[in-house]
Amino acid sequence: MITLEPWMMLVVSMIIFCIGLLGVILRKNLLIMLMCVELMLNGVNLSFVAFSKMHQILDGHLTVLFVMTVAAAESAVGLGLVIALFRNLRTVDSDQIQMLRD
Amino acid sequence: MNNTLIILLPLLGFFINGVWHLIASSKGKKVSPFASGTIATLAMAGSFALALTQFLKLRAMPVESRLIEETLFQWMKLGGLSVDFALRFDSLSAVFTLVITGVGTLIHLYSVGYMSDEENIAKYFSYLNFFCFMMLNLVLGATLPHVFLGWEGVGLASYLLIGFWYKEMPNVLAGQKAFIMNRIGDLGFLIAMFIGFKFAGTLDLLEIQKAVLSPHVVTVFGLLIFFACTGKSAQIPLFTWLPDAMAGPTPVSALIHAATMVTSGIYLLARLNPIIAASDIVLSTIAIVGGLTALVAAIIACFQSDLKKVLAYSTVSQLGFMFMACGVGAFQVGVFHVMTHAFFKALLFLAAGSVIHALHGEQNIFEMGGLRKKLPLTFITFTAGWAAILGLPPFSGFFSKDEIIYETLVSHHGNKIIFGLAIISAALTAFYMTRLYLLVFFGNARMDKKKFDHAHESPWVMGAPLAVLATLSLVGGWFGAPVSLDHGAAEVSEISPHLIMFVSVVIATLGAGLAFFKYSKNTKVEKTTDVFGIDRIYGVAFGRGLQKLSSGAAKYVEEWVVQRIIQVSAALVDLSGNMIKVLQVGSAQAYLMMIVLAVVAIFAWFFLGAGIYGNF
Repeated sequence: MITLEPWMMLVVSMIIFCIGLLGVILRKNLLIMLMCVELMLNGVNLSFVAFSKMHQILDGHLTVLFVMTVAAAESAVGLGLVIALFRNLRTVDSDQIQMLRD
Repeated sequence: MNNTLIILLPLLGFFINGVWHLIASSKGKKVSPFASGTIATLAMAGSFALALTQFLKLRAMPVESRLIEETLFQWMKLGGLSVDFALRFDSLSAVFTLVITGVGTLIHLYSVGYMSDEENIAKYFSYLNFFCFMMLNLVLGATLPHVFLGWEGVGLASYLLIGFWYKEMPNVLAGQKAFIMNRIGDLGFLIAMFIGFKFAGTLDLLEIQKAVLSPHVVTVFGLLIFFACTGKSAQIPLFTWLPDAMAGPTPVSALIHAATMVTSGIYLLARLNPIIAASDIVLSTIAIVGGLTALVAAIIACFQSDLKKVLAYSTVSQLGFMFMACGVGAFQVGVFHVMTHAFFKALLFLAAGSVIHALHGEQNIFEMGGLRKKLPLTFITFTAGWAAILGLPPFSGFFSKDEIIYETLVSHHGNKIIFGLAIISAALTAFYMTRLYLLVFFGNARMDKKKFDHAHESPWVMGAPLAVLATLSLVGGWFGAPVSLDHGAAEVSEISPHLIMFVSVVIATLGAGLAFFKYSKNTKVEKTTDVFGIDRIYGVAFGRGLQKLSSGAAKYVEEWVVQRIIQVSAALVDLSGNMIKVLQVGSAQAYLMMIVLAVVAIFAWFFLGAGIYGNF
């Protein structure tokens, strides 16, 4: 029987974070990128919980609640922006959206 | 208290007249020359009376402790340097103070008449009082910075008064020339002060004399001080400003550029005489430069046709005599000559001013002549001045000048060369003064008949100072000079003073006779000849040289150094900008990638380089 050790949670958290990060860097679709940002946030959340369990204090749990609230607000705003962009430019490809550069 | 009052009275006069001028000129009113002149003259007369009481007090003291000192306040304190604002009245200061205030009073009085048509009369008198205030600071100051304050102050007053009629360009240029020439000399004074403080540790005039200094320091210090004196006292190489300074009003020439300011170099040498006399190099430099100046200026004076210019070169020449005296170690004789010279040269200038005044500004001596009947008082007083400068007994110049000539031969530091310079200069002095005297007062009147008829004797305010100065030129030599300055003067000598007196009187008579022979009948007009062309040489060497240097620098240094530096730095900025520009691709994901890489790099550096538990 394998017991759930905090370090295992940390490894999982790191994997989720890296998947998210790579997604943000490599994918061009804004919707996918937004989802990957959420992945990164949740990876961090997991590590908070893991550390909280490791040190037997509740600060990590509290922070996670904050992060989830902020992430919800952020994804609402982000999705709104993406929809607004799509309406104006008919695309959600980040390479196509470079008006400020030109 | 009296010392302070001596310098405060002229300062008060300066303020009253200065404020009066400002108020009057802002309202467009004219100041009464009589009232303004009375204030200024009274301030000087009061100062003179106080100086006289101080002098009598000094006389009552025993010889060794003749010093009245007043410390007013602490002037500056910086690290090891502490300078008090103190006034010292001793026998040397006494001579100078009495001359400044006494002759100063007479010249202020004379100015009331001479400058009566002047518009900015209150400004003139405030400048004149300011000059006296600064000059008294110079001779009463107890420390080198205090002397320097006066030194710069009189330079400023001289500049302001030479350029008093500032609406004409030559006057302005003459003022600037005087100021700049003096600044060159001041450099020597400043460096001497630094050296004095570094090696003697004090700037007090009495203590610096007691300091034990190495011979090299003494020599450098003495030479620098002497260089400062060549500026202020118009010696070679910095004497060319004095003849140009005649652009100022004549009373100014008499007071500043003959009687007082130009003798401050002698004062400084006499004040520091133990240090100056400690170095043979310094002494012989002073004697040779003084002798050459006396000779060169006397030669130039023989070829001038401007009344005031002749007197100006004569002043330079007489100052050379004083430096010769200092250079052979006979400081007391030099100071004695300062006093007698102040009397007779002020007299000559004021009499010349009276002539110029009578002829409405004519200064060319070949346009004069026959004035002895028209201006009897001026003629008689000028005769006294003429006899004094020639050194005819019993006039004052006889005592002081012959003593200088005597000392150049018999003093330990004297020699035949300096004696020769002195004798030739004395003969030339007799020549050019007699030439001037004959051309102005004798022969036919060579100016317009109308001008000659209009010539009139000056008012009493101008006549009275002439009479007093003529008396002083006669009796001034009978007082002698302070004996406490005696250094290296001959004690016993096989040459009799009477022989030298006889020789110098004969020489003077010869010079005068030659002039009489040449100018009594024949008054062919001579143009002013620039004998040595010193101004031209300076113009080429310094003026043109500096111009060439500047234009060369503008051409080559500017193009090849300054512009290159700017171009290279601009190119460097351009290059680095181009290199960094590559990183700015405009894609958010690329930037994010860079951030990630940077974070990874920082972590790698911390964890691998410093170790996890390392002490960063």
